[in-house]
Amino acid sequence: MRAAATAPTTAQSIRIGPSLTRATVVLGGGAILLLTAMVVAVAIGSVGVGIGDTVAVLGHRLLGLPLARTEVPGAESIIFDVRLPRVLTAMLVGGGLAVAGTVFQALLRNPMADPYIIGTAAGASLGAIAGLMAPLLLPALAIGVGSSWLGLGLVQLLAFTGGLGTVLLVYAVSRANGRVPVVTLLLTGYAVSSVLAAGVALLMFFSGQHLGAIFGWLMGSLAGAKWIHLAFAAPLLIISATLLVVRWRGLNLLLLGDGPAANLGIDVEREKLVLTILATLATSTVVAISGTIGFVGLVVPHVLRLSIGPDHRLLLPASVLYGATLLALADLGARLAGGIPVGILTALIGAPFFVWLLRRSRMVRPVVTP
Amino acid sequence: MAHRLRLPSTLLFLAALLLAACAPAGSGSPTATTLPSASLAPSAPAHSVYPLTLTDDAGREVTIPAAPSRIVSLAPSNTEIVCALDACDALVGVTDFDAYPEEVANVADVVIGGSVDVEKVVAAQPELILAAGNELIPTAVIDQLTNLGFPVLSLYPNSLDDIYADIELVGAAIDAIGVADGLVASMKARADAVATAVSGAARPRTFYEVGVFEGTIYTAGEDSFIASLISIAGGDPITGDPASTAIQLEDLIAADPELILLGDAAYDPSITAATVAARPGWGEMTAVQDGSIVVVLDDVVITRPGPRIVDGLEALAEAIHPDLFP
Repeated sequence: MRAAATAPTTAQSIRIGPSLTRATVVLGGGAILLLTAMVVAVAIGSVGVGIGDTVAVLGHRLLGLPLARTEVPGAESIIFDVRLPRVLTAMLVGGGLAVAGTVFQALLRNPMADPYIIGTAAGASLGAIAGLMAPLLLPALAIGVGSSWLGLGLVQLLAFTGGLGTVLLVYAVSRANGRVPVVTLLLTGYAVSSVLAAGVALLMFFSGQHLGAIFGWLMGSLAGAKWIHLAFAAPLLIISATLLVVRWRGLNLLLLGDGPAANLGIDVEREKLVLTILATLATSTVVAISGTIGFVGLVVPHVLRLSIGPDHRLLLPASVLYGATLLALADLGARLAGGIPVGILTALIGAPFFVWLLRRSRMVRPVVTP
Repeated sequence: MAHRLRLPSTLLFLAALLLAACAPAGSGSPTATTLPSASLAPSAPAHSVYPLTLTDDAGREVTIPAAPSRIVSLAPSNTEIVCALDACDALVGVTDFDAYPEEVANVADVVIGGSVDVEKVVAAQPELILAAGNELIPTAVIDQLTNLGFPVLSLYPNSLDDIYADIELVGAAIDAIGVADGLVASMKARADAVATAVSGAARPRTFYEVGVFEGTIYTAGEDSFIASLISIAGGDPITGDPASTAIQLEDLIAADPELILLGDAAYDPSITAATVAARPGWGEMTAVQDGSIVVVLDDVVITRPGPRIVDGLEALAEAIHPDLFP
């Protein structure tokens, strides 16, 4: 990483890069927080498993160390099969949503943008609900197909393709004369989402006993986390997040507007398409394994911008770390609160905090133009 | 409350009764595959042979490796079945809604506020888990518990006969076939007595109100076990949607109940014959005009598919035919 207080050197560098020490504090601190949150979230749950047992189980399963008899019956299963996949899923989901939200807010130059804004949520929801109800309509699916496809269920698969497909459709429809104006993209996304939301509502109306499951999915929950889902989601999320983090320069320039960004030498339409696909890939992956968890993807980017400034070079990796930490802790809270959907908790606690931060900063910089 | 609202379908009682009459108890049920038939050796009580593979009400094949001494029940009806089979001591996890029989109050709660705490289930180290079907326990949770290596039997009866079959199924699973046979036989004797008492009597069109929420009226679902109970108790059940158990007011008016039974009055004292008669549109119904609106305080035993269901059946019969049950 380039050192601190050097003056702007290239034409692309429209801002002074984050100082090395600042980056070290923000990212190093974030990494330490993340690891701490992971240990805490794995060690705490509705069943008390001591920290010694927790470490022993993790050492046994991850490092092959011998495991003495644990004090709590089933501790090994609780730690390794129930809690650890759930905590890791929370981290992937939180990091993925936060980085995708950061990208969409900059890309669309819209402070209300979240990862779901141009159709991912509606498309994924329709897919997931169709997947939930399909076994009811076609019993063969419940037995034959439900458990195949990379270990993913029909719900995860249809949610993933539904989210990704909807955004590609929206993007294609918004395209005119080789360009995709941001406003058209937003409005098309809204229109397509409305149609799909009507489909969601219709399916819910006829869902009968599945209404509870559908409702839980729409609010977002990590209760069903399992290793097999992680095996699908982790590579996709790590790849898409990494590719997003290294595109910080393009995002910084796009904040200036399409015209100025083009003048500064980037292929604006190509950059927008690549960013949209990567962010949507991350979002659809997340939604497939956790449902539509709200708030994280909207507010984590804002909080970070208010705290560490608008430079995406620091903002993107920070959003991964802090988004992951936030959701791991929020899910811990949700588990301890009797298994309520984590989306409820993030909004309930996070939104007032966000308002406080907004007021404290005395300056609303929703999406900052440098 | 929501638990009891989703009661779907299969057999009408009479058809089921015919089926049951054709096969010996225990082996007549489609749910029990490998259990030894108790009726083949009535002198020596039959025992389950482990590992035992059973097919539950969701059609899943479940293998139980050994006679379970630690059982988790995820629904109050399952708890009642286990206790009625003299296995109350084996329960190591129940729901926070469980209040019957009284001794289960001391058992750890693993279902809290309607959601299963998987960690607590694992910590209870069950050798058998009894779940409930039709998404009362979400399929995802049942899958998760199965993947963790626990045998999970999902029970979901659609008729009184299915309830007998579920009791036999649990009896087979926990090596209590003899007790289950005896329990089912006594339940059947009481149900037969009710059926005999009401035979030949007029069968009033009967609407059982499970609840009214935000204007939506919930009743017995089409072909649900509650509908089968009303039928045996000498009524002609007016039923709602098989999945949601809701009925539209205009459909209810068109069905024109001759008797309205208020199951929800057991929980809400503001629901009385007078307040029901005053509801807009309800004055059209024959039952309202005749004053045939009866408060039924036994809703728990009518809507809970466990061993006390015959108490519910008798309560229904008394409500429908008070003249026959002095």
